[in-house]
Amino acid sequence: MRPGLRLAGLGIFFAALFGILLVRLWTIQVTLADEYVAQAQSLQIRVVSTPAPRGEIRDTNGRLLAGSRSALALVIDGALIDPETEAELVQRLAALSDLSASEVQRRIDQARNLSDRVTLIDDLSDADALFVVEHSEEFGGLYVEPQPVRVYPMGELVSSVVGYIGRPNADDLEDPLIRSTDVLGKAGTERYYDVDLRGTPGFIKYRVDAQRNVIDVLGEQPPKPGNTMILNIDTDLQQVVFDSLQQGLELSREVSVSGAGCAPSHADEQCPVRATAVVLDVTDGAVKAMASYPTFDSSIFVEGVSEEEWDRLTTLRAFSNYAVQGVYAPASTFKSVAYVTALEGGYFPEGQTAQSRYVCKGTLDFRFNDGSPQVFRDWKPQGHGPVNLGEAFQQSCDIYFWEIALTLWRDGAQDADARNELQRWAREFGFDAVTGIDLPFEAPGLIPDEAWFKRVQEETPGRVREGPWTGGDLMNTVIGQGSTLSTPLQLANAYAAMVNGGTLWKPRVLDQMVDSDGVTVLDNSRSVIRNVDISPQTVQSLLQDMQLVVNGKSGTARGAFANFGDNKNDVGGKTGTAEVIKGKNAVDTALFVGVTPVSNPKYIVVVVIERGGSGGRIAAPTGRRILQFIVNGDDGVTPVRPGDDLD
Amino acid sequence: MALTAARSGSTYLQRERALKPDVILVLSFLLLAAISIVMVYTASAPRARSLGEPESAEAIKQAVFAVVGVVAFIVASVIEPRTIRLSAPSVYLASLVTLVVVQFTRVHDGAQRWIDLGPVQFQPSEAAKLAVILALAALLASETGKVLSPTRIAQALALVAIPAVLIFMQPDLGTMLVFGFFTVVMLFVAGTTGRQLGFLMFAAVGGVVVMVQTNLLQAYQVRRLTAFLDEAGSSLDAVYNQQQSEIAIGAGGLFGTGLLNGAQTNLNFVPVQASDFIFTAIGEQLGFIGASLILALYALIIWRILMIALVARSQFSQLVAVGFAAMLMFHVFVNVGMTVKVMPVTGLPLPWMSAGGTAFVVMSTGLGIVHGIWMRRSPVPGERSIL
Repeated sequence: MRPGLRLAGLGIFFAALFGILLVRLWTIQVTLADEYVAQAQSLQIRVVSTPAPRGEIRDTNGRLLAGSRSALALVIDGALIDPETEAELVQRLAALSDLSASEVQRRIDQARNLSDRVTLIDDLSDADALFVVEHSEEFGGLYVEPQPVRVYPMGELVSSVVGYIGRPNADDLEDPLIRSTDVLGKAGTERYYDVDLRGTPGFIKYRVDAQRNVIDVLGEQPPKPGNTMILNIDTDLQQVVFDSLQQGLELSREVSVSGAGCAPSHADEQCPVRATAVVLDVTDGAVKAMASYPTFDSSIFVEGVSEEEWDRLTTLRAFSNYAVQGVYAPASTFKSVAYVTALEGGYFPEGQTAQSRYVCKGTLDFRFNDGSPQVFRDWKPQGHGPVNLGEAFQQSCDIYFWEIALTLWRDGAQDADARNELQRWAREFGFDAVTGIDLPFEAPGLIPDEAWFKRVQEETPGRVREGPWTGGDLMNTVIGQGSTLSTPLQLANAYAAMVNGGTLWKPRVLDQMVDSDGVTVLDNSRSVIRNVDISPQTVQSLLQDMQLVVNGKSGTARGAFANFGDNKNDVGGKTGTAEVIKGKNAVDTALFVGVTPVSNPKYIVVVVIERGGSGGRIAAPTGRRILQFIVNGDDGVTPVRPGDDLD
Repeated sequence: MALTAARSGSTYLQRERALKPDVILVLSFLLLAAISIVMVYTASAPRARSLGEPESAEAIKQAVFAVVGVVAFIVASVIEPRTIRLSAPSVYLASLVTLVVVQFTRVHDGAQRWIDLGPVQFQPSEAAKLAVILALAALLASETGKVLSPTRIAQALALVAIPAVLIFMQPDLGTMLVFGFFTVVMLFVAGTTGRQLGFLMFAAVGGVVVMVQTNLLQAYQVRRLTAFLDEAGSSLDAVYNQQQSEIAIGAGGLFGTGLLNGAQTNLNFVPVQASDFIFTAIGEQLGFIGASLILALYALIIWRILMIALVARSQFSQLVAVGFAAMLMFHVFVNVGMTVKVMPVTGLPLPWMSAGGTAFVVMSTGLGIVHGIWMRRSPVPGERSIL
């Protein structure tokens, strides 16, 4: 080959090389240019979220229950952590904070994965903040910046209602709007209105260089703070309720087998464990006070708590709000339902009327369907003597109400409506269903009947006994025992409907929701679950008899209200002592439902003291103290003293 | 025809006239040098500003190199090819000495490639490229026959191998590969048979395999070369650099972002942007149009050099021109190919464009020598039409 040809070949080869470069340039700069432009932009623009201040929670008088204070937070910027010095950084941060090295590492990884900022330490001390700022070169990728920290100025007082906040769990993270670094409401109002409290995070769009250093700000959207919740809770009343529950619990411990100094545990089943109360406005369903004691301070979920304290609170189930989550046999407080059923449907002991007196002998002999003889015993062995419906209610005579059940049972044999008449009335008043209160985890309670009994036998054998639903079951139900279960809130709401003439309100914790500009965004006005058709005479009669429970000479709450003070005549109530089936040594639950003013009902007070014993002795004086405050104000309140040891 | 005949009558006059420069080559060269000053400025100023350093420092340095380069080009153009041929062995030996000396210098960034000469640093491997081309041309041109003898080929390989191994020890794989490329091209033009070339290729591939197998190649060198083939290893710096470069060039689009508007370049996404990745700055800021125009300037120069090889008066001159064209081609293809991800990452500069003095001056000198050959060419029939 001549050199000329070889050179020509070389020229063609070189031209081909240029051709390759040109084709490649055309491909990426013309054909695929849009893709590359998009890629370049995603590299150069960084969006960092700015947390929205969480909305406040205030009581009906505007007092702060949950809010935010500005604190210095140590924030990790995941994009700016230098992997080469990361190990040392983790050690330094672990030393600075209370966190373990692995936890610090976890947060750094989290920040890096999100390519966003993650708070490492919520509440940095001034000294630590200064240290980090002064040694900023040793803390590359970390910032000290002001961030809101949740505060609960009322401490334990309202925590059952207000709830607490925490990090999202796996379920929460299913929501695409929730990130693992967010803070969510976990219980109470914080949980129920979480979405409204959370607000909308803002963002800042930066242009960044290859090292993720900010070059300039391209755009910014400020966060929208969460809405403020104004609750129906009245902190003054709440304080009295809270103190009364504490005193009632102390009192019940003093008189308990375990003694005043006892501490409830799995080992000591006789030590009174818990006291719960609800105060409802019967005219609109507003929850004026609600407490479940023992409780916790919401701040511990922000500031932390020792392990022992955490264990103690967990063992006591202090984080649950038993006013809506706890279910109890309503016992004799349920007699009001039987009372209404009797008056409205004309079901009385065989051969009696509402006014005629039935002689209560302390025992009731009857035969079961299979003919076996049975003896039911009243809580008062010697009996209550001759009593009409009202007197039986005031003295809480079981036998009178058992007779009502037997009448219902007999009529039920022919009349299908009568068979479930008691349960129908109970459900009308909201038992056996959640009330729909604006709090999480509400329990539905239970009103047993034949259909339920059969269903349970089929679905969960062993939970109830074999055989058919009997008159004995109805007799248990009529006095709020057996399988009957109610939350303190349901009990309060049912009484509210009975005394206000039949309006079953939906209980409401929230009064209104106000946005950060002060504009009301939600007026949570009263709403009716249903109107119960109950005659005014029945209502008046019930109120009168409730008044006599407190004021009458044989009323079960008479002793508890002995030193009530002024306006005692305007107060009524009903006691209850619930037998707890489980365990030999099980101690009864003490219950009390109060109403005031009797002349024109406004408030229902429910007190439940678990393992408290007698309702008249323990729950009634506790409720009395709350009613004293409602009726006579701060000065009218006297300490909780034991009442009569009556049902 | 009459005019040509009249000219050939007067040898002296013809020589005087033949000293006319190759306008296309010279203009392309000057244009590239001028553009390089601008591009180095755009690639270095924003970063310098952010570091609080003088913005135009790099560009001024590049301007100085350009001036020195143009002077070197002129001087080299004037030197007689015969003189160059005679001095080729001593230049070669001197180059070997500097390559040995550099082995005893400080380590910069894991490599020993520079000798400090007061304010500037000298890169012996850059100079060695030219020295080896000259020496190889001198060696191969002394063969009288049209077909190279195996002995001569062996001598040629030895001549290249010594500096190549020294450079490999620096370590500088890219430069070593340049040696291989122009050696093969020069052997091809010098008259190797197809069989000889085939054997050489086979030996070269075998040699690479042995080097990899015996771990003679540094781990990072293998990784760099294979990272290019293996997208999965994307955390590697080499792939990161290339990806950023590719994105920047792609984002430039047809018309580019405009000078000093190259976001990827300015925001530091593209590494060593003023030196090895200068073409990225070009692609991003000047777009496909600017980038292809600059490639066209290189193509023009290489075309001119091949023409010069065609009309060279001696085989030495021809081989020098071919060797230089090959070296230039290899640099352009590997460097630009690296920025658009058709070639692996190596440290080869883009001639007359990348910031850096030694390469600029050496390339200019080489181009000057080739241009000198043009000015002393033997006239060929129809030359004007070729021009």
